[in-house]
Amino acid sequence: MKIRIESLGAYLPEKVLTMEELLASCRRRPPWDLERITGIRERRVAVGEYAVDLAVQAARRALALSRYRASDLDVVVCASISKHHREDEFHYEPATAGRVAREIGAGSARVFDVVNACAGMLTGIYVLQGLIRAGEARCGMVVSGEHNMPLARTATRELRHRFDGQMAALTLGDGGAAIIIDASPDPSSGFHQLDLVTGARHDHYCYSRPSRRGPGGILITKARSFQITGNKHFPAYFKEILDRSGWTLDDLDHIIPHQVSARAVANGVKAVARYYGCLLPPCTRVSADLYANTTTTSHFLALHRFILDGTVASGDNVLLVSGASGIVIAHATYTFDDLPERYRGHWASGGAA
Amino acid sequence: MKRGVWIAGVGASLPGFRLFRRGSVARAVEAGRRCLADAGRRPAEVGVLIHAGVTRDYHVCEPANAAYIQHGLGINVEFHGARTLSFDLGNGGCGMLDAAHVLSALLREGTLRAGLITASEGNADLRAKGARPCPESGAAILLELSPRPETGFGGFAFHTRGEHADMAKTVVSLAETRGRLLTHRDPGLEERWLEMAGPVVDAALARDGITRGQIDRVIPAQISADFLARLPPAIGLPAEKVADFSGSLPDTLSTSVFLAFHREREQRPLLPGKTVLLLAFGSGLTAAAATYHF
Repeated sequence: MKIRIESLGAYLPEKVLTMEELLASCRRRPPWDLERITGIRERRVAVGEYAVDLAVQAARRALALSRYRASDLDVVVCASISKHHREDEFHYEPATAGRVAREIGAGSARVFDVVNACAGMLTGIYVLQGLIRAGEARCGMVVSGEHNMPLARTATRELRHRFDGQMAALTLGDGGAAIIIDASPDPSSGFHQLDLVTGARHDHYCYSRPSRRGPGGILITKARSFQITGNKHFPAYFKEILDRSGWTLDDLDHIIPHQVSARAVANGVKAVARYYGCLLPPCTRVSADLYANTTTTSHFLALHRFILDGTVASGDNVLLVSGASGIVIAHATYTFDDLPERYRGHWASGGAA
Repeated sequence: MKRGVWIAGVGASLPGFRLFRRGSVARAVEAGRRCLADAGRRPAEVGVLIHAGVTRDYHVCEPANAAYIQHGLGINVEFHGARTLSFDLGNGGCGMLDAAHVLSALLREGTLRAGLITASEGNADLRAKGARPCPESGAAILLELSPRPETGFGGFAFHTRGEHADMAKTVVSLAETRGRLLTHRDPGLEERWLEMAGPVVDAALARDGITRGQIDRVIPAQISADFLARLPPAIGLPAEKVADFSGSLPDTLSTSVFLAFHREREQRPLLPGKTVLLLAFGSGLTAAAATYHF
């Protein structure tokens, strides 16, 4: 049995913060031209909203497009990393999914959180796929709201030198995404393969915790080592999932990687090209230029953008690729049903505004 | 849910005095190692590792604690050969039963051979505020497809009452350097959990198609002696069937149910044909019940 994305919801806060504005707010401005290096021009910033609010907004939008009502949802899984639900607070418990379910009126749904760094939403889909295939759920929601900018604000205060581990925090952005998953009625569409693996020997390349030098949380990333290690290993999994799906590179209409930065994505494309010994089709989609790195939500905010601009159409084959701290390497092959058309129609009619 | 996923091994890292604090990852690794030894399995056989603890060492929120535990246990840590997926599943005190339900579903798909669930609590924050944080502990269970389909987990049920969500919270304040753990437990919390216990047991039994009379033993989270004394009438089962280790096992949040399961197995081995009811209570507020057939 295949599962599919029955509905999609995306929420981007209104306030836009450019890379130049963020760099200008640094106590010690880094000497790098981060906009050129990362390809990130701007990001959205939540003002007066927290991670759970972003998740709730996205969940409401997904429900607005769905044929399911909130009360129909059997499971709500929340995959947020940044559980900043109030100013300067990080919430361990209760599960954020419970709060989202209550706000959207899914009070009878089973709720729990899944945390797997930036691969959280793909992990949530994997879990929900298991529950649906086992007959434990009919449909469910995977939702995430990422309020990452507090980490960037700490970096603007604490950056000390050009190689500071917090530099990557300046590539973050805020956003929310939600998808509703059910069994695909058409065997030719939906998730063909979903593959996630953790190489835990490499768990030290990226971590987030409270600062030891002042208030706030920090994100420490050894970005270069992380990318080198990831790019060494992920092409083999990339090829394997295409083979298992019965696809070749030419079958791909879109590759949607985790939107770390435009340069990281380009390096990943080069790594796969080296592995295959040929160029990849020019179908890698990058939304980091406008939304920056929105961690768990990045694939689905990219889908939101590329569906609305007409790039992604019904029937298209998509490969979702994720590299997350852990290191987690995640791939999913997916064929769209009529969701892109419905999504565009819904937004054109102002339904999700 | 159909039966057929059983607990192949149990491991515990019990609360109690230790000269040095060890932290949540070390506790989970200790429990996981004992669990694998109990099951007679090699680390490489674990296809999925789910960690269901609440507190984290140094309040690290990324990567998943499960990745550190996978590394500590030496479970397929490189990208070559056999593979393992690790992730955290959070639902307060009910996390391990949630993870058991999820892992049972994943095992039934047939692509996994074995899955490990760990939970641990290890509050590394010496300046914690509010209610007293639970003591350090760790618990682990290894799940596999059972060779006897009539054994293993039966029905799972989870009830959440979101209107009482604020009665139990664990939060890290980022307003202070290194973060500060704030724990809140409302005095009326146990009363609300007792109200939820009866309906969640009804639901679990109905899903498994059995009656209260077929339950041989109830293994609840060891919330408190008073709570365990009031639990039997709330769930409609006699007090002598309810395992009460509250004298020696304090409430240890996410690990409590399976530490009690471990203690029960040590004290009186459960024989084939016996049925136990596992009960967990957590923030949310959530009550969880699962039947298990030996």
